[in-house]
Amino acid sequence: MIEIALLAILVLVITLTLGVALPWCFGAALMVMYFVGDVTMKGMVLWGFQQLATPTLLAIPLFVLAGTLMSASGIAAALLNFVNSFIGHVRGGLGVVAAVSCAIIGAISGSGLTGIAAIGPLLIPEMDKRGYPREYATALIANSSILGLLIPPSLSMILFGWVTETSILACFLATLGPGLLIMVNFSVVNLWLSRKFDLILDEKPTFPQLTKNVTKTGIHAFPALLMPVMILGGIYGGIMTPTESAALAVIYSIPVGFFIYRGLKWPTFIEAGREASTAVGSIMVMILFSMIFGQMLVYEGVPQDLVSAIFGITENKIVLLIFINILLFLVGMIVNDATAIILIAPLLLPLMNALGINPIHFAAIMGVNTAMGGVTPPYASILYLGARIGNVKVTKVIPPAMLLMLTGYLPVVILTSLWPDLALFLPRLFGYF
Amino acid sequence: MIVGITLHYVNLQCDWGVNMEKFAGYILTGLICCIALGQFVQVVTRYVLEIPVMGLEETLVYPTMWLYILGAVNASREDTHIKANVLEIFLSTERAQTILAIIGEVISLIIGIWLLTWAWDFTQYSFRIWKESPTLYIPTFYSDLALCVGMILMMIYTSVHLIRHCRDLTQETVK
Repeated sequence: MIEIALLAILVLVITLTLGVALPWCFGAALMVMYFVGDVTMKGMVLWGFQQLATPTLLAIPLFVLAGTLMSASGIAAALLNFVNSFIGHVRGGLGVVAAVSCAIIGAISGSGLTGIAAIGPLLIPEMDKRGYPREYATALIANSSILGLLIPPSLSMILFGWVTETSILACFLATLGPGLLIMVNFSVVNLWLSRKFDLILDEKPTFPQLTKNVTKTGIHAFPALLMPVMILGGIYGGIMTPTESAALAVIYSIPVGFFIYRGLKWPTFIEAGREASTAVGSIMVMILFSMIFGQMLVYEGVPQDLVSAIFGITENKIVLLIFINILLFLVGMIVNDATAIILIAPLLLPLMNALGINPIHFAAIMGVNTAMGGVTPPYASILYLGARIGNVKVTKVIPPAMLLMLTGYLPVVILTSLWPDLALFLPRLFGYF
Repeated sequence: MIVGITLHYVNLQCDWGVNMEKFAGYILTGLICCIALGQFVQVVTRYVLEIPVMGLEETLVYPTMWLYILGAVNASREDTHIKANVLEIFLSTERAQTILAIIGEVISLIIGIWLLTWAWDFTQYSFRIWKESPTLYIPTFYSDLALCVGMILMMIYTSVHLIRHCRDLTQETVK
């Protein structure tokens, strides 16, 4: 059966290459399994559709809407100004502002696209004006935007927890350590790279001026800063489920956007709703068919065959972890994070169990690898969106993006795999295992 | 006169597009807000008032499933479904890109119609079984129907894009 599964995956890759929409690519793989592998489709659609109705998945549309409303309402701008008031005047400070702001936004939206969509239009022109190369500014914000998938709440960790039946809250915490480390790395790399840019810097403020500015922007950003506090406090205080806290974030952001920051008007509100729903619809239909395909592979015992085949080659844990990282990196290059998780996580989980790797550690490995896929071409949705927002050619953004990835992201990917405590420290501290 | 008729047709098309845009905006925003509000009411009644509302969670399944499917239909209408577009990067002419889009749309139609037959099979099953929700006894058929309706609409929009691309190619509006 593993040969049929490989053929189905090959067809999936070919249709993807031809530009067929992702849900139909999975449909093509299902056709191979049905016509060539003689696997039944009876009951599969019923099973898949019932899975979509799971309350856990409801967090996805609500976090996507919260993120979209945040971009449209001016909440993101208030957060950006607040972070900027601390370090904006330092050489390379605007780059640090980009990384930190994307992390804070990640604590509200859970998506990799919100950071670039919310921060990009505000910060790219400003960085350009201050002397940063435009393609570098775009690459830095697009790379930092990935933090949305690593700082809790994370949509990819909701999916991972759901498909592998692992605690979602523990998975959230597993990617937090690597996420913060990536944020620090990007900030440091940016400060180092900024030395050679001819930057226009503000005059260094005196301490009273700095305090005044921080207080002023802090008061203005206070309603926005309450959002991550409410979401994460609600979840980890044991008060609400992620879905409920996402709903609270949406309901909170509507009056804040309309009456406090006043960025939200009736047409922009409707537009935000349409945009979020369309994004959710395309994700959910893709999840439906990829989930059915994944389930078919599980029914046919492909994960077990895979474990035997891989153990036939080597049983060395380090070699296998490196191999899995390369596999996840390649998968991330051709599909998005949600697809990679739904398809690969159930396939590799038995292998991870056999290797004695904690599922929460595996969540972090999958999380950092699949998130990186958002900026690695050919499927680099975050990078492409960044190029569109920054009005720069994709080919010009790729070199600085790759440089940032190699220096800021890749070391953390390797560290997450080889040093389990980076991922497991916080879940252990909160008593999840 | 021909120019007049053509302009009238183009205007109708534009009006239809604008109206659909507005309609999609209102219906999708309504659905997603309905879900957020339902969940929020649940938070308030469960944790603040400590009087959980019976059946609220199962009621939310209906707008949720329709939101997922109609969102996907709108993605088909706007042609914004998630795609890798690997080959497109290597194609320099608009004509080659249009041919690639046509190939992709033909493949999508074949797969989509096959999946539609399974969605129809599921809808028939759901109608025959007539399962009801556990607390409020609302037939689940009303949410199950969304898949078949959605698949039909997605295939219609894929056909529309296919026809548009074929017309562009035959009328040589793309070089």
